[in-house]
Amino acid sequence: MSKLKIFLSVNLCFALMLGVFAGCKPREVKPKADVVIWHWMTDRQAAFEQLADKYYKETGVKVLFETYAPTDVYKNKISAAATANLLPDIFNPLGDKKEVASYINADFIADLTEEMSRDNWKDIFFSKALAQNTFEPGNEWNVKPGIYAVPLDVNSLMIYYNKDLFKQAGLDPEKYPKTWPEFMEAGKKLRAANIQPFVSGFGEGWLIGAFAQSYEWNLFGRDGVLQVLEGKIPYTDPRWVRIFKLFEEMKNNKLFASGIVTMVNKDAERSFATGKSAMAFNGSWGVNVYHSMNPDLNYGVMPPPYLPEAKFPLLMFGGEGSSLFVNKSSANKQKAIDFLRWLTQDEQQTFLAKETLNIPSNKEVAKDLPPALRVFSENIKNTFEVLPKIESWQVTNYINLNLQSVIIGERTPKSAAEEVQAEKERQMKAGR
Amino acid sequence: MKITPKEKLGNFIFVIPALVLFLIFSLYPILRTFELSVFQWNGIDKNMLFVGFAQYKHILFNNPAFWKSMANAGIITVLALTLQNGLALLLALLVTKNIRGENIYRTIFFLPPVLSGIVVGLIWKFVFDGNFGILNHFLTSIGFSNFADYAWLSEVRTALFSVAVVHMWKGFGYGFIILLAGLQTIPVELYEAAEVDGADSWQQFKNITFPLLIPIFTIVSILTILGSMQIFDLIYSMTRGGPAGHTHVPITKIYEYMSNGEFGYSTAMAVVFGMVLLIISFAQIYASKKLNYNNR
Amino acid sequence: MNIFKIKKILTSTVTHTILIAVALTCVFPVFWMISSSLKTQSQIFSSMSLLPGPLLDILNWNWSNYITAFVKADFGQYFFNSVFYTVVGVFFIILISSLAAYAFSRLEFRGKNFLFYLLIATLLIPIPGVFVPLYLLLKNLSLLDTRTGLLLCYISNGLAFAIFLLKGFFDELPREIEEAALIDGASRFGIYWRIALPLAKPAIATLVIMNSLTIWNEFLLALVVLQDKAKMPIQRGLMVFQGTYITDYPLLMAGLTIATIPIVIVYLLMQKHIVKGIAAGALKG
Repeated sequence: MSKLKIFLSVNLCFALMLGVFAGCKPREVKPKADVVIWHWMTDRQAAFEQLADKYYKETGVKVLFETYAPTDVYKNKISAAATANLLPDIFNPLGDKKEVASYINADFIADLTEEMSRDNWKDIFFSKALAQNTFEPGNEWNVKPGIYAVPLDVNSLMIYYNKDLFKQAGLDPEKYPKTWPEFMEAGKKLRAANIQPFVSGFGEGWLIGAFAQSYEWNLFGRDGVLQVLEGKIPYTDPRWVRIFKLFEEMKNNKLFASGIVTMVNKDAERSFATGKSAMAFNGSWGVNVYHSMNPDLNYGVMPPPYLPEAKFPLLMFGGEGSSLFVNKSSANKQKAIDFLRWLTQDEQQTFLAKETLNIPSNKEVAKDLPPALRVFSENIKNTFEVLPKIESWQVTNYINLNLQSVIIGERTPKSAAEEVQAEKERQMKAGR
Repeated sequence: MKITPKEKLGNFIFVIPALVLFLIFSLYPILRTFELSVFQWNGIDKNMLFVGFAQYKHILFNNPAFWKSMANAGIITVLALTLQNGLALLLALLVTKNIRGENIYRTIFFLPPVLSGIVVGLIWKFVFDGNFGILNHFLTSIGFSNFADYAWLSEVRTALFSVAVVHMWKGFGYGFIILLAGLQTIPVELYEAAEVDGADSWQQFKNITFPLLIPIFTIVSILTILGSMQIFDLIYSMTRGGPAGHTHVPITKIYEYMSNGEFGYSTAMAVVFGMVLLIISFAQIYASKKLNYNNR
Repeated sequence: MNIFKIKKILTSTVTHTILIAVALTCVFPVFWMISSSLKTQSQIFSSMSLLPGPLLDILNWNWSNYITAFVKADFGQYFFNSVFYTVVGVFFIILISSLAAYAFSRLEFRGKNFLFYLLIATLLIPIPGVFVPLYLLLKNLSLLDTRTGLLLCYISNGLAFAIFLLKGFFDELPREIEEAALIDGASRFGIYWRIALPLAKPAIATLVIMNSLTIWNEFLLALVVLQDKAKMPIQRGLMVFQGTYITDYPLLMAGLTIATIPIVIVYLLMQKHIVKGIAAGALKG
């Protein structure tokens, strides 16, 4: 009999548990703050919290910064919250323009055009950072033209070089290679001196793609790049084959650090910071990263070397670094916008720039930066122009994969270009 | 013994808690997954585009990269089934032999599964690194100088195998403890009797241990198949599917599509992948059942 | 006699060589993790040495990293949550799955085989696809941002494999004792509780270890389902050290070491139950 009792109580216990769960009234979500921000920048949490405290003292509005990292988790969280209509007041979908467009079209993101035009708010920003958050009339996703996000900081990608290692290889540390042939020569000299010439996080597709794109701008110019996107110029064009050849040349001259094709950027940064590689293609955040890894690192910064035969200026990946979007259906929309306005004013931007060693989106503040960062902030004007069209992610993916294939000697530049073009044609047929 | 309908109903109570949870939190989301897989949807848009089985058709016939990733996972799985489980069995047998320090070994062998993926990824990248890797250091010191800056994870020849080695190293501890637990259910009397009959260790293993362990082998190999086919963390932290996609596995592919806003398509991939796993697992269960009966 | 002895020594040497070789590869990462946790950030990058400093200087190694990590990661707050999720989750997984596994192994009821295979089939659907439906389900049940919601997901997630493993064990246990007890008038539940469950101790210990590990290390679902920091598990704390740009390796390693200890303890406690003699002894009785 007692056994039966145990048995019944186990089931009862379970039933009770379910009952409690089911009976759980949707507890009223107590707003702990007026404005809730979900972000992914773990390393800036402390600085953000200080600013939130300051804002509370000044205005009585309570702002809560919640971090979710790494970015994959953050993205998951945002998209899950969107499907359930539970987005916070301020967030970022962390996607390309196409993805942002679907958030806007689904009414998750507020149009900030009017607000940002008031009191010339939008004029304090680098125009490029703003352009990346703007949808132009007639854009391919049918988004209502306007500005949809507030940029917080900007960045650009250049090549860092280690002056001590340059000296060691018999190169002039104050004269970096400006053209591609000079770059090759420098690389050969470094290799001859038993130094790995070049490192970057080429295992993370986007970095290898960013490097290649610099040369696409160099060879094609704005109109050419646009025509490639539109499919009017094929990837088998000799100029694109030339881009693939650049990677082959780097490989043949042994410029690449060992294992570069599977290297994530954090490993590449480590390689450069510890003097294992002489040059690193990396973003402006590297200034802070290298400082934390090796404060005594003696380095300079140079743009990627241009091709002497190219007709157009070489541009670099960069512009908007991180931006914040406002939830369209937020009850505290105005408060959220007001906070963002405050956050991008000179004083707060100066504070953020100093604390996090990033280039602020406020272009006036960006003039007053440590020398290493200033090179990058001055370089913002040389970043890729914002185009009305983007490449499909599949083709972008194919470009990155085939660049890796060329580096490991699996494909010739020509066959790599053909592969990419074949994918481009498949995507154009599928997307019409 | 005859079973009355009333008893049958009473027996059913045993499975009710499991069934309720299972239906709500496993089966229902899975069925919803099936539903999503016939839509083209990016996870955000208000309206989803019904495309029927078009996405399945595309996966089956026009996505060689996905099937390549399946083959990669297959290779890792076969390696794990043989090498990893062989090692696990060997160690479990050695440790149960009442040797000195068995407690210490038992503890140590379960350290890899306990360790965080972050540490495992970092340390093995450190081992395989081309420049200052421990492995190359060792190889050059014993005379293989051509390995001076060989990047194990970046060469097509060795990338997948290197990842598989780490995966097996991280996973053998599971097989080890399950086999150990299984060995405990074999009554010692059987061995004592065999000893009296003069059977040596090999005969004891062949005639007692192995046949009685078959159901445990089934469990271990299912666990190995699932764990190896669904490998993700290690690949992501060590190679991200590189070099040039040569270490992609199904889950990294599914994630790739999902994070690029192909929500419907990636759920269809998940379903196809699930079906493949289903076939493999049931074939495995069926085979071991047959083996079990033949042995009795 | 002598040959016998030599043979014995030889076997034992080979045995120990194998065991020690494997053991070394398992210990090394732990050693490295702890050693890294006692270095400074610049030491991590500049020195390749395995020790954080000279051995004589042991008191001056960066032991304070542990305190810093504990405070910075808010481990105090998260620790309780993780213990709670793990203990409650594992308890219910074992209870519910052992009941079901016993029924699948020993009892007759309608649709038994169908249900069992359906259950096993769910093991095979990879998680990424199920994520969003699960999230919407929790929302509809008003279980988002609740400990209960997260726990229910963890429990149901662990069930299928646990039932599979336990059924395998129950199938192998001799039926004689149970049949005798049945004739003596014991109830089915009584047999499950008094006889079958104790006999399955090695399997249960294995399941406790595996499920504790899964729940303790899980963070993706927790981070998506929960909003309130006060309910987050310990893995949330480790995020603090892995910045978008900068990873604080010494503190991360210290944090990881702290987060690993409880699981090692669970393993040490549980593995005692996977020891020769328990099952055999019970069979004799």
